[in-house]
Amino acid sequence: MPKILDSLRGAATEAGGALLGRLQHARLPGVGQSSVTDDPDTAARRWRAVTVLCSPERIGTGADLPAPLAALGDRLEVRITPAPGDKGTELAARFRDRPSDDDLGRLRAALREAKQLIEVGEVLRVDPVPHGVREPTPQGAALEGMTAAAGKEGVL
Amino acid sequence: MRAATWTGVNEVSVETVPDPQILNEHDVILRVRRTTTCGSDLHLLGGYIPFMRAGDVLGHEFLGEVVEVGRGVRERKVGDRVVVNSFVACGTCWYCRQELYSLCDNGNPDPGITEALWGQSPGGCFGYSHAMGGWAGSHAEYIRVPYADVGAFVVPDGVSDERALFASDAVSTGWMGADMGGTRPGDTVAVWGAGGVGQMAARAAMLLGAEKVFVVDRLPERLAQVRTHVGAETIDYSQTDVLAELREQTGGRGPDVCIEAVGMEAHSPGVHGVYDQVKQQLRLQTDRPSAVREAILACRKGGTVFVLGVFGGMVDKYPLGAAMNKGLTVRGAQVHGQRYTPRILERMARGELTTEHLATHTMSLEEAPRGYRMFKDKTDGCVRAVFTPNG
Repeated sequence: MPKILDSLRGAATEAGGALLGRLQHARLPGVGQSSVTDDPDTAARRWRAVTVLCSPERIGTGADLPAPLAALGDRLEVRITPAPGDKGTELAARFRDRPSDDDLGRLRAALREAKQLIEVGEVLRVDPVPHGVREPTPQGAALEGMTAAAGKEGVL
Repeated sequence: MRAATWTGVNEVSVETVPDPQILNEHDVILRVRRTTTCGSDLHLLGGYIPFMRAGDVLGHEFLGEVVEVGRGVRERKVGDRVVVNSFVACGTCWYCRQELYSLCDNGNPDPGITEALWGQSPGGCFGYSHAMGGWAGSHAEYIRVPYADVGAFVVPDGVSDERALFASDAVSTGWMGADMGGTRPGDTVAVWGAGGVGQMAARAAMLLGAEKVFVVDRLPERLAQVRTHVGAETIDYSQTDVLAELREQTGGRGPDVCIEAVGMEAHSPGVHGVYDQVKQQLRLQTDRPSAVREAILACRKGGTVFVLGVFGGMVDKYPLGAAMNKGLTVRGAQVHGQRYTPRILERMARGELTTEHLATHTMSLEEAPRGYRMFKDKTDGCVRAVFTPNG
């Protein structure tokens, strides 16, 4: 029985992460910010971008890019442009080849981390967070899956 | 350490949990001296914000003493008595530089959830679900405070814990509503909700020069507090037609600024109330917006409606026609507390802002389940239950 429960919880965790991934592609009235009308190739080729409050020179290029982006190596194209209205610098990136969903997740996380490293000097951590007893329920597992995926999902 | 946790819908438990630790250089660890329930906690408690995990520590409005500092902290030191803003903000991103701290780009470690729901992610908030970053809350003996130089403010010696506690959220939120609602000398301001935030919005409007201020609620003990401690006029919506009363009181114009301090569980009498309850329970709308509707209908032409109450999703029967045709400005925000806290503490020190009356029930952390029951059911005149985790 415990094995069955474990596998159910595992499935719920995966489902939670997957649900978050799908939610951003759902065009429900008032919910979701997707480009669902894009065909998959176009969607994969879109630039993912963050705006960083710094000068363009601060971003760096190639191996001098912030470490999370540099780690993705030559697979990335990077575009750096001043943001209008003194809002900093637009840092955009996309894969030269056809990325998987996992690749896109890594890119979103890398862009957010790069921005934090430049603006704050470190990447904000929340875990381990103090908490009480967490009963191993399917709903709880689904939320944990969603939380674990949250840094790699979203609208970038 | 001991902490009050959410363990399920309408269930709070006090448990032993691990102590917090410094994880980033700009963190401090606080020994919590005072921490209070907030009306917005009730949305979490009731399961209206479905991103709580059993065991999550509640609480986002608090004050304490610094007991440990990260090596990147410059302006806070061990022993400081500080009040902390409820939203986690870095102080260096574009939004923080515009003093829009609750919109911080770097305060929510789980941005994918709110980006998927709302298009962009606001900052994080202590003790306010995994949608807002999963930060542990303040109903605990200790709490980790990230970006401490930005969000933790030293309390002046002459200001008591009991008073300064509410600078954390209730006063700063209320002040934001009056300020960003554009209150000007001579204005008439109406506030929906006589809880801590509503009372402080009314007080802020008066301090900003409003000539007439009305607060709308139905609970006699809260309306009495408004008259006694805030000095504003009151309207009991269970006894009075609010729109007619406000028209009569304003020469037919309506208030210049209308501040909604109620949120997604607004109570409303009559058919409207039943309609919203049914639709919310059937999940045909997530939030009950009756106070927002009334504020829009009450507001004078060209006036401003500021939504301070917390909403999470979608509402029905939103009077967009009234908002558009009357030329209203409708604004809202989670609290940009860091923008207001220094001047609030100064006014507290001068005695212009008093908040002690809000703490109707002060008790130990172990009594948090009872405190939340009283606060939710509004029994014994409870306006705020305040916990003292370290005695």
